[in-house]
Amino acid sequence: METDLDKIYIFKTNIAQLCTDCKVTKTLGNHADILQWSVDTEDIDCVLRIVSETLTAATIINIINSLGHECQELN
Amino acid sequence: MRVRDIDKEKLVIANAIELIVQDGFQGFSMNKLAKACNISVATLYIYYKDKDDLIKKIGADIAIEFFSYTIENFSPDMTFEDGLWIQWQNRAAFTFKYPKKVAFFEVIKQSPHADDILNSTTKFSDFREIMKQFIYNALEKKELVELQFEVFWSIAYGPLYTLLNFHNDGKSMGGKPFKLTQDMMKEAFRGVIKALKP
Repeated sequence: METDLDKIYIFKTNIAQLCTDCKVTKTLGNHADILQWSVDTEDIDCVLRIVSETLTAATIINIINSLGHECQELN
Repeated sequence: MRVRDIDKEKLVIANAIELIVQDGFQGFSMNKLAKACNISVATLYIYYKDKDDLIKKIGADIAIEFFSYTIENFSPDMTFEDGLWIQWQNRAAFTFKYPKKVAFFEVIKQSPHADDILNSTTKFSDFREIMKQFIYNALEKKELVELQFEVFWSIAYGPLYTLLNFHNDGKSMGGKPFKLTQDMMKEAFRGVIKALKP
């Protein structure tokens, strides 16, 4: 099924590295309300892309900040 | 509400092809692409997860387009000579019509994504099956000598792609100006048939 474009959130972050064991991977991967997520670690803006039916941009920013990373929504 | 904008997607695809052909796979970035399209980086990420995702999706679309094009008016039941000639015609027509897409595919072939792209849909295995059947039929009908696959392929298509490369470069050996004609294609094709007929 095609993803509803309104459920996709895009953020600029400073998540420059991802590993299977790190906090970001674990938290986002285990979050019940996150359907899909990815970080483009090769990009200068380390763009985080989240697909969620229920979360808001503000909630996602809070989650990322609490993991010790900067996060700013891109429009 | 966000609406899928087909025109914008087409613009993104056209610019991505242009940039990758120009700068290569390594020199390409989502930021450069967004700038070239005059759209925000965020818009780009709505459609694609990252650079790899974008390249895989565009690559798969082009591959499907190419393979569909090559089997137009073609059937594996044709005689070997008729069928191979249609393949030549279709492959040449695609290269003439979409030189950028062909160049893009050449770049992608060298990238780590080539296998992912070719395994992304069953359409490619359908295509491979058709071509396999064509060769099998030709062998059964004794219209084709038995050769190792790579040897067969290089004789059957090598001359065509060499001529198409000359044509795309606009020059042949030693920088001699070159333009491929139907007559030249036929001449080369006759040589190929001579080599492949039992």
